[in-house]
Amino acid sequence: MTKDPVSVWPLVIVVGVLIAFVMAGLRAKAREGADYGFGGRYIGRIGGGAAIASNWMSAASFLGMAGLLYLQGYFALAYVIGWTGGYVLLLVLMSGQIRRFGKYTTPDFVGDRYASPAARLIAAIVSITISIIYCVAQFKGIGMVFAWLMGSDYTTGLLVGGGAVVSYVVICGMLGVARNQQMQYFVLIVSFIVPLMFLAYRLGYFWLIPQFGYGEGVQDLAREFRIDFASPFASGSLFQWCALCFTLMVGTAGLPHVLSRFYVLPNIRDARWSLVWGLFFIALIYWSAPAYAVFARLFEARGGMVHDPAVAAKMADIVVLKAAVMGGLPVWVVGILAAGAVSAAFFTVAGLLMTGAASFSHDIYYRLINPRASEARKMAIAKGSSLALAGIIMLLAVNPPALIAEITAVAFALAGNTIFPVFLMGIWWGRANRQGAIAGMLTGIVITFSAPLLGGVVPVVAEIFPVTASALCGAPIVIAVMIAVSLMTPPPPEEMRRFLAEKVHGHLD
Amino acid sequence: MKGPQERYDVNLFKPKKGYMRDEVRIILLILVGWGGATFGFQFLLRLLGDARGESLLTLRTFFTLPFHFWFTGQFLPLWFILLCVIFNIYIDRLTESHSRRRDKSYD
Repeated sequence: MTKDPVSVWPLVIVVGVLIAFVMAGLRAKAREGADYGFGGRYIGRIGGGAAIASNWMSAASFLGMAGLLYLQGYFALAYVIGWTGGYVLLLVLMSGQIRRFGKYTTPDFVGDRYASPAARLIAAIVSITISIIYCVAQFKGIGMVFAWLMGSDYTTGLLVGGGAVVSYVVICGMLGVARNQQMQYFVLIVSFIVPLMFLAYRLGYFWLIPQFGYGEGVQDLAREFRIDFASPFASGSLFQWCALCFTLMVGTAGLPHVLSRFYVLPNIRDARWSLVWGLFFIALIYWSAPAYAVFARLFEARGGMVHDPAVAAKMADIVVLKAAVMGGLPVWVVGILAAGAVSAAFFTVAGLLMTGAASFSHDIYYRLINPRASEARKMAIAKGSSLALAGIIMLLAVNPPALIAEITAVAFALAGNTIFPVFLMGIWWGRANRQGAIAGMLTGIVITFSAPLLGGVVPVVAEIFPVTASALCGAPIVIAVMIAVSLMTPPPPEEMRRFLAEKVHGHLD
Repeated sequence: MKGPQERYDVNLFKPKKGYMRDEVRIILLILVGWGGATFGFQFLLRLLGDARGESLLTLRTFFTLPFHFWFTGQFLPLWFILLCVIFNIYIDRLTESHSRRRDKSYD
């Protein structure tokens, strides 16, 4: 990779887009005052949906998903289904109820519902861990894109890109840059779809809606090169597919930064409808990702390039960019695509670092270590911890263990094994108590990391709880543990049970 | 007279009369549609597939894609959106009718 030239124009476009976002944020702040954005201005259902989608889009959606599809074909559709189907669970099982419950963050909900500082602490640690794992995947994406932009190796790319994202977060924080998530979504979707239209046009497929035009590419691959992209269960068994898909679904419904989206809109009804819009906006990207994978395969096959699996796996995470380059797209189109990928990762990192740091400063430092801390002190702790988190993430990202989407999937597995069960039971079973929640979350943590820890000694563990897909068997076990432990210990305070019955479920009776 | 134990009982599988019972009914229906289409189809694919995984579902082309690829990659996300729309319309109506019964504007 070191021989690659510097991609000057894409680099200029990436930097330009990031600067433009900071400038736009500053202008918006000057115009609207302090209450812009989070909980401030009413943005409508479609706008709310765009905000949900922009909050969701990360390097995993933008780069990682196409990479896995490129490597695994049909099997990787489990990611497409998992990351859209999870929103159904979120909508029907949780959205209205957690909103009526009225707690903004995951540790707050867990701490209050189960009336337990210990449960709050575990939930906070889990949230921070999820942020870290999620960000490692983002940093890998940032590192690979910057390495490609600068024509350098991965480590240099990671250092420069990581430095850039941390400076971006610090600058936005210092200047109080408002996040206009509707604009962010618009930029992301345009930068993803326009290059795809160009590619479909180049290949002579139906380019107007490339999401539906890539089918011919699948057929051409099979006919010309005998590459069976669509063969089901070629890269994994039915169980592995279902386990992965289910894990991503319950993980989606348990991710802290997704759960807290329901408070941005003024009422439950709008929140529910913006979720549908959000799902639609997310699906627009996910309908397109397979097209990038198919086109990349096609360009490679036609160019006579056959990568051995190790090389293919190494470059899979930027296969979206590779496809654009192989397709001979104009350099500004490639630049836009790279800018979209970098922005998606930057916004996600910014959001997650802030959530993680706030969780540390509020749920751990303020609630447990120093309850008399002043607001300024809490703020300083939050700033310090966000830098500390960034440092930890950077170290972990130097030697990324897997593909972007796979690393992200581990965060989903953790959320699906811990936070999803405590929310589900907390909302839908009044009898669930703090002992149950604590036992359940601890079980979930053990299950999530059982494959890498115990898989070598007891191989069956790695089969039942695959590291990216442990929640199919894990979440039911955690729920069973919660039920058993709750029934063996005294019921939760009557006050809480009454609140659940009357305010959360009986608000209209 | 019910004891407080029972009065404050919240359980997905034993919903209280009124709003919660209607809500739980639609939730369970949507979940059946969600799980059936997602996992049911994969089971079917496996069940019908021969040694190489090929079957009517993979050989038939639909919207230029093999049918199973189209179903999973393109139809299922659309199906999820549809399920969410159905759920929202139903809950909107339910909330309105229960609010009217209670003589209070809905949220």
